[in-house]
Amino acid sequence: MAVSRRRFLALGAGAAAGGFGPAGCGSQRSLGDPDEITLWTWDRSVSDELVTRAETKGIPGAQGLRLSRTNIGGHFNTKVRTALAGKSLVPDIIGINSDVATYFPNQDVFVDLNDFGAAELKDRYLDWKWNECVTPEGRMIAFPMDTGPTGLFYRADLLQEAGITTDPKELAARAPDWDGFITLGKELRKFQERAVICPNIRHVWSIRLGQLGSKFMTEDGRYIGDRDELREAFELAYRIGRDGLSAGAPEGSPDLYGVITSGRQPVGIGAVWWGLAFPESAAPKTKGTWRVADPPGGSGNVGGSFLAVTKYSKNPEAAYKFITWLQSPENQVKAFTEMSLFPSSPHSFTSPEMREPRPFYGGQRTIEVFGPSARQVRTVYKSPYDRVMDPVFAAELANVESGKNVDTAWRDTQNTIERELTREGAI
Amino acid sequence: MGLADVPARGKTVERRGRTAEPPPDGSRPLPGWRRYWPMYTAVSPFFILFAVFGVFPVGFSVYLSFMSWDGIGETRSVGWDNFAYLVTDSDFWQSIGNTLIIWILSTVPMVFLALVIAYALHTTVRFKAFYRVAYFVPNITSIVAMTLVLGSVFSDSSGLLNSALRAISSGEVGWLSDPWAMKVSVAAITVWRWVGYNAIICLAGLQAISSDVFEAAKVDGADDRQTFFRITVPMLRPVILFVAVTSTIGGLQLFTEPQVLFPVDDNGNVGGPGGEATTIVLYLYQQAFVFNRFGYGAAVGWALFLLIAVFSVINWRLIGGGDEDVPGTGKRKGKSSAR
Repeated sequence: MAVSRRRFLALGAGAAAGGFGPAGCGSQRSLGDPDEITLWTWDRSVSDELVTRAETKGIPGAQGLRLSRTNIGGHFNTKVRTALAGKSLVPDIIGINSDVATYFPNQDVFVDLNDFGAAELKDRYLDWKWNECVTPEGRMIAFPMDTGPTGLFYRADLLQEAGITTDPKELAARAPDWDGFITLGKELRKFQERAVICPNIRHVWSIRLGQLGSKFMTEDGRYIGDRDELREAFELAYRIGRDGLSAGAPEGSPDLYGVITSGRQPVGIGAVWWGLAFPESAAPKTKGTWRVADPPGGSGNVGGSFLAVTKYSKNPEAAYKFITWLQSPENQVKAFTEMSLFPSSPHSFTSPEMREPRPFYGGQRTIEVFGPSARQVRTVYKSPYDRVMDPVFAAELANVESGKNVDTAWRDTQNTIERELTREGAI
Repeated sequence: MGLADVPARGKTVERRGRTAEPPPDGSRPLPGWRRYWPMYTAVSPFFILFAVFGVFPVGFSVYLSFMSWDGIGETRSVGWDNFAYLVTDSDFWQSIGNTLIIWILSTVPMVFLALVIAYALHTTVRFKAFYRVAYFVPNITSIVAMTLVLGSVFSDSSGLLNSALRAISSGEVGWLSDPWAMKVSVAAITVWRWVGYNAIICLAGLQAISSDVFEAAKVDGADDRQTFFRITVPMLRPVILFVAVTSTIGGLQLFTEPQVLFPVDDNGNVGGPGGEATTIVLYLYQQAFVFNRFGYGAAVGWALFLLIAVFSVINWRLIGGGDEDVPGTGKRKGKSSAR
């Protein structure tokens, strides 16, 4: 086979262009064709139906533009960061999980949605959720998707056996705060020897933390994670463990499901999605026996997500049109009925679909619990360093659960956090 | 294209160049370069790919280890700070401790079991091929899927293992929560995965030993145990070295098993309760990809490299890798150092 030199060179050049061309080398900053708005999300984060509609029929309000969604499996954060670090082929829109504050130090890689008039839509959404999208400098780098208001989930049949009221209102009145919740747990124990009220004590901590008005840092960067309120929450978690009301199931382990399916944990505080992730999917046989009541200790939020438009977007205005359409109150209702993503817009709460009785919860209208719960969540400032501090508290609580002295654990937590924050240059 | 064509083409190139367009004085390329460039071009894809995906990342990780970088913003030079912090980082030392414990807990029984299995396979008369395949299968199954399955076996209150222990009333073990049991769980999965692989390697080594030796042992009246410990094991020293070195490298790079057994939770913790199953690579992963400390992650990576180098040398010395003249040794050593 004889290949002339010219042909060889041409082939080589062609291969090189084919291989390196699409990689951009700085020539193409945004991902996708000129008439495409690209979106990166993870599985079950947006309504597939609505996204498919935008992919096939075009983006409402943006003539001639279509959406192209990529469902990123595995480590979403890593892939997003890799794309952003490369500064080329970055999608127009990315999904962001509840750790939105992690992106605050790099707020300039996102478009300020206020430039497109986002402020006009503010009253459609829950205040506290909206505030989470805004950086301390006042840039709105993300748009609200779903939320995770908490409720008290319980097995009505098991409570009835124990002679405890099964009416949501009465139960909430019996356990208005954590002490009431602990008493409830102790009563359950009389009828069910191994009954627990939480999978592990870290769970108690994270729920309690979500109920407080502030987290670990103030907006001006002062550390407040050593205040008495947090110490009390830390000790609350310890007390529940000491009283034998925790199953001690490690985070992420199959035991988390085990305590639910076996009925060992007849009551538990969790976000809306907890019901779907645990009883509904792991214990389908318990359908109809579950109910939801107002959570002890007040409303809180766990989880929830956002959409952000990157500065590399070729058409940020169209991207903005798309996300505001996708997250409009009506479409959030759709996302709820389709994938149980709880709306961040209180306008959705009154829709007939959301008010429908839920068979899994014995025909209860769960929105009557979660709706008010979502409205009562307080605005909490989340700092970019929470990702460093959260694990320290959680790890020390795991140590407490396996026997470490609670005072030592608290002291070690504070020392470790001081070290970590110094290292990050935060304090 | 045959090899003979190549010089001919080279000549054509030269001739054509001379006749068509004589180059001006001094600017003439070297004849060697002109003659050999097609060959270099032909082999270049590997080197280009290696440079892009091999050399560059290694170089970049050296650069990163002296930087502070969150993955998006600007990199900031911090000099030796990352390494200075590394030395005083108790979590890092804990991860080294964990890794070494898990490594010992897995490698020692694994090498022993591999030898025994290989010996059994070697002496078995029937279904040889079936057993070989059977022992090798764990190595090619999806490690993530298997760890998930084994995770529910080890699970504390609803796991098979604890149910079995309860059935014979010998109490429960916190396989996924007790510091030592957690390490044993990870080690067990590692053994399960690699024992068959290593047994096949040992079997290959066994078959290279001349049957004269075994026959002589038999004539001298040695029983099976004596033959195994006095003949087989010493004769297999180079193979055991290979197994030990690759197990060291694999053991120090342990990641998937603990990552699936004790996944990153909502809070960003990895390695289970108290970080008792955090291996070095898991710690690297947590620092770089959970906390977005890419510079520090790179520094941990280089510390790991150093550690692997040290342990490979120790292994080499301990098991006596100096005997190059044993048949078959050279090849295996070459392979092991390339891994």
